[in-house]
Amino acid sequence: MKKSNLSKKEVIHLAKLAGLNLTDKEIEDIRKKLSETLNYVDNLNQLNTESVIPTSQTTDLVNIFFQDREKNTRGLKPEEALNNSKNKKNNYFIVKRIL
Amino acid sequence: MKLLGLTLLELKSLVETKKISSKELFEYFLKRIKKYNPKLNGYLTVCDYPRNNIAAGRLVGIPIAVKDNYCTKGIRTTASSKVLDDFIPPYESTVTQKLLNEGMIIMGKANMDAWAHGASTETSDYGVTKNPWDTTRYPGGSSGGTAAIISSYLAPAGLGTDTGGSIRHPASWCGIVGLKPSYGRSSRYGLVAMGSSFDCPGPMGTSVEDISLLLQIFAGKDPYDATTVNIKVPNYLKEIKLNKKIRIGVAEEYFDGVDEGIKLNVNRAIKIFTKMGHEIKKVRLIHPKFSISVYTILQRAEVSSNLSRFDGVRYANNRTFFEKEAKKRIMLGTYTLSHGYYDAYYKHAQKIRTLIVNDFKRIFSEVDLVIGPNTPVTALKIGEFKKYPFFGELMDQLNEPASVAGIPAISIPIGLDKNNLPVGLQIMGKYFNEETILNLAYQFERETEFFGVIKKGVERYK
Repeated sequence: MKKSNLSKKEVIHLAKLAGLNLTDKEIEDIRKKLSETLNYVDNLNQLNTESVIPTSQTTDLVNIFFQDREKNTRGLKPEEALNNSKNKKNNYFIVKRIL
Repeated sequence: MKLLGLTLLELKSLVETKKISSKELFEYFLKRIKKYNPKLNGYLTVCDYPRNNIAAGRLVGIPIAVKDNYCTKGIRTTASSKVLDDFIPPYESTVTQKLLNEGMIIMGKANMDAWAHGASTETSDYGVTKNPWDTTRYPGGSSGGTAAIISSYLAPAGLGTDTGGSIRHPASWCGIVGLKPSYGRSSRYGLVAMGSSFDCPGPMGTSVEDISLLLQIFAGKDPYDATTVNIKVPNYLKEIKLNKKIRIGVAEEYFDGVDEGIKLNVNRAIKIFTKMGHEIKKVRLIHPKFSISVYTILQRAEVSSNLSRFDGVRYANNRTFFEKEAKKRIMLGTYTLSHGYYDAYYKHAQKIRTLIVNDFKRIFSEVDLVIGPNTPVTALKIGEFKKYPFFGELMDQLNEPASVAGIPAISIPIGLDKNNLPVGLQIMGKYFNEETILNLAYQFERETEFFGVIKKGVERYK
């Protein structure tokens, strides 16, 4: 059974991907806890999944569409949509400069 | 007039026959909340007046506690996270809208584990909710606020969500009734998303009839949630009263690692079902320990994806407001979805998910329902959470198989352990066959009155 041990470097990289700011203490704490969790879930290797198709959801539903000309009764007015934003101007959300 | 402990249906009758007004009923619960909520911390937001003017419907005048991950238009919704500290939803979730259409009054928003991450309500950014049975203990989670509120009668019923056991677990630890419907039975539109292939809105209350009525009202296909199914919603109130004899499966795998006090109560319940004429059959099922792994991987992956929308741009505070548990889960999810690990973890877990789905499909050709303990232990002392790397998922181990498979399951109170703490029984059923689960639960309720557990709990908050 392979033992999972995440490195500090890997944790820092993941934090960047996830858009999270972590302190050094948090990085170490998460590194330990993540490794423990990954070791536990290793028990899945005990089960045979040869030629098993993955399940992504359990309802057997396929291709459900919202009809094109159906009325959208739940649209939001601009003021409603922007109401909770802390950075807005003239019905626009303000974001960081991209270019 | 004594109102303490009356069911939703009993209160409804009083309102309909004008023995009490909606306003008086609201004031009654508001008074109790002012008295007991500061200690219990069940509610995060309490409405100061009834905000629904609908005069005709099946829930007119009835106050309901709503878990704080349902978007309620105009009423602060936080999912117990400081990220959403001042978020006021501009729209209503489908489930709460359907109840509002019947005259329901939102009493307030109930505390929970932040983002529903947990089984203790301790990860709430607004403080833990106390278990009304012993305020040094957890109420369970993540719908711990709703469960504690109902158990101490600060509302006659409420809404929770169940992703990996979050309705059933606190229902068990607080000694009330809580149902996780089939995935796809009711709409997730307007729910703060946790695990999109697991999340189920569900009813919690003090009687099987009450939660059957709530489910009947809010279940059904929603054009705004593509994962809701087009299966007719039965008349649950009628179905639960049918005199059914049921084939009940018992799987020994679900008794592994369970406290003796819980096993005692479960075995007593099994004897009662036998006495009532139901057939009890020993069955074999995949061990729950595999569901823990499947659920941990898939849920945390979906969480990392769902929480990526909280960038602080369009609404809410930015990502620095996430607390420890959320960060941990986002990190694990990101790892299992990242390049080089996706196949080994995420895809692999999805294959095991298929095995678990098929395992239940097989068993439900032999029996109608499977029963067993709902939790491995009764309510733990506040602080125990820190000892485990993935506390939530370990506590919910007996609930996760049903979540992974998407089948419905209920927790009903069946007694107390030697510490005077409630014990729950889990009843799992076939896809979209909630009526058989509710039928058996109702039969048990009629036969035993849940051994007075609910009544005893409410009386502690006279």
